[in-house]
Amino acid sequence: MLLDIVPREIALSDVLLPGLLPIFVGCLLLLWLLDSLIGRYGLYRFVWHPPLFRLALFACLFGLAGLLLLH
Amino acid sequence: MSASLNQNTQVLPRWPRLAEVFAGEGRAWIFIGKSVLASCVAAWLAMWLRLEQPSTTMITVAIVMHPHSGMVLAKSFYRGIGTLAGSVCGLALMCSFPQQRELFLLSLSLWVALCAGGAMLYRNFMSYGFVLAGYTAAIVALPVVGNPLDVFDSALMRVSEVLLGIVVAGVVSDVVLPERLRMVLRKNARAQFARFIDFARGSTGGAIPRAAMEQAHLEFVRAAVQLEDLRASVIFEDPEARARSTRMRLLNQHYMAASTSFQSLHHLINRLQRRGRDAVADALIALYRPLGVALTPPPAQQHDPVVLMPRLRTCVDALPTQAEALRAGLVDEQSRLEFDTGATLLRRFATELRDFTTVEHALRAGTLHGSVERVHFRRGNDHAGAAVAVLRTFLTMITLSAFWVVSGWPFGASAMLLATIFSGLFAAAPRPFAIVFDMLIGYAAGMAMALVVEFWLLPGSDGFVMLVAVIAPFLMIGPWLGTRPRLAGMGPGFAIGFVYLLALKNPMVYDPVHALNDSIAQMIGVGLTGVAFIFVPAVAGSGWQRARQMRRLREQVVLAATAPLRGLAWRFESVSRDLFQQVAAHAGPDSAESRSLLAWALAVHECGRALIELRRELLDSAASPALQQAVEAAVHRTARLFRHPDMARWQSADHAVQQALDACAQAGVGAVSIRPYLHQLRGALHDDESPMAAYLPPDPLEPAHVA
Repeated sequence: MLLDIVPREIALSDVLLPGLLPIFVGCLLLLWLLDSLIGRYGLYRFVWHPPLFRLALFACLFGLAGLLLLH
Repeated sequence: MSASLNQNTQVLPRWPRLAEVFAGEGRAWIFIGKSVLASCVAAWLAMWLRLEQPSTTMITVAIVMHPHSGMVLAKSFYRGIGTLAGSVCGLALMCSFPQQRELFLLSLSLWVALCAGGAMLYRNFMSYGFVLAGYTAAIVALPVVGNPLDVFDSALMRVSEVLLGIVVAGVVSDVVLPERLRMVLRKNARAQFARFIDFARGSTGGAIPRAAMEQAHLEFVRAAVQLEDLRASVIFEDPEARARSTRMRLLNQHYMAASTSFQSLHHLINRLQRRGRDAVADALIALYRPLGVALTPPPAQQHDPVVLMPRLRTCVDALPTQAEALRAGLVDEQSRLEFDTGATLLRRFATELRDFTTVEHALRAGTLHGSVERVHFRRGNDHAGAAVAVLRTFLTMITLSAFWVVSGWPFGASAMLLATIFSGLFAAAPRPFAIVFDMLIGYAAGMAMALVVEFWLLPGSDGFVMLVAVIAPFLMIGPWLGTRPRLAGMGPGFAIGFVYLLALKNPMVYDPVHALNDSIAQMIGVGLTGVAFIFVPAVAGSGWQRARQMRRLREQVVLAATAPLRGLAWRFESVSRDLFQQVAAHAGPDSAESRSLLAWALAVHECGRALIELRRELLDSAASPALQQAVEAAVHRTARLFRHPDMARWQSADHAVQQALDACAQAGVGAVSIRPYLHQLRGALHDDESPMAAYLPPDPLEPAHVA
């Protein structure tokens, strides 16, 4: 993969954290940003079930980022 | 789901009560279903992820599931922060005092107590954050207290389990048949608008009896506070609502400002009529009439801001000329002053009503572009209540710790953990005795069920499906109790008791001796929390707290007299209403107390707002130093009167206001804008239907006021 930049484990003062954790947090932040943008422009009225849409969006983001970024 | 049920009620008018029952029951059963689903999914995920104690995840779900949580992703944010803060604290405590159990238990008790205080001080979702912070610290540190080397692994496991529980509860309550608070908010906001417009229209005749005014005020305040509560929850549910939130706040502030001006105006007219000054009162009512006309478009459009907005705008623009014409009809100086006072109030009310309608129009049309004034609804939080919660929790925890240390009791950790959970969850409960009793019963029942399930039903069942089949009916009982108004106190007790004693694990461990010992320890933990509630009673709703809040309500006038003017009007309107609502919620309806409260609240609103406007005018006008001094003296004496009302202070305040009025009369043209406010203040002080009646001189002769 071209993008594999996040190592599988990150040592935070000798505590090993899974590399997925920062990706997860980053995706949450991204989701929050997208969510407010969509809400700001009222685009949720084109969506049948906004929470489900949000969950699915998060699954897509996290899956994509996890597959592309993890080393 | 609730929307479709509502439609059914519209389609089937034949059995409206039946449909109503089904709508209510439907909502309750949706919540029950969601709770069970969340518990089972949490258990399955925890086992699948090989977490040590799936029961921790399930307890967390039982703690955070709530019927009216909509969007929980952002709300979980606070809970996540609480969990992380709690685990870091637990870890730090364990590392600081690995071999000092006294110090360790002391500081843990302190932490848990502070968290319970925080849970009491903040409302809604932030409150849960504090509950979880205390709970996680205890759950991280207590099980490994005899084996400090394991604390890090334990912390990692417990945090993963708690966070998993939060996420599962959040996703399930958000995605599966969510209860949309936004619809409730919209409905309430529209009803509030319509109600207020109707009331303003209906009162154009002039006189409203004081009692009707008090009832209306009670209703307006309740609506304002409820709208704010809803708004604060809805912004976490819906990003669109978040975008509208600033305007929503502004709407509520305009609403509160308009209702204060409205009642001040009517008090003034009532006072004039009571004193037989009908000519002035009639002139004011005549000035009021165009506003009533503006509020009366064809019936179908009466609550439509699009129609009302331009009508109100023209009405506000025409007011000064009409006031001029009516003023010319009054001859003596005294009547003119009285008329000016009323006209100023009326103009303020009309302007605020116009702004209110404009914001409502912007909200309905969905115009969210451009910036608007940022206002905040300030809360009148009671720090004493939180301090008492801290003290109570601390005493509970320290007693349990001492008992644990002295007796060397192997199950002390369980008792402490339970005490942590319940003192946080019920810190803000209004009637502690009943709640404690209910929760003990619920807890005992939950544990008994757990014993039955664990030792008779579970051993024969095999696999996760069988597990769910066995425990699901029992998982239903907790939330079911929670949805019954009369049994609601038992709900959380039952749910937590059942899940905790069941202590699901993969593979399952069956140990009757351990389970029985543990259940005794847990009962002691819960029971001691209850005893603590009796020894250190909750302050919420006690007579002592109500008296304190009454005093704080009166002190709002002091705030209006002394605080910096910037944003003061908004702050005054919201804090005084929040305080009023808190007292009103606990005072019995129609009691002497609630009547006195209402009377004081009206007086506080009228005088406080008048003081703010007076100070604002004084700042803008080019008043001479002598006049300035006289007005400031009047403002401060009035504030003093409200801080400790008695006859001497009333006389001093009245004297100061009178002197300021005299100073105005001497200053002539420079003081024209100040006089009406001073006059209104004087009228409010002399109102014999307000609480001021107690301090009035026995024979309220109208002093010959020389203008």
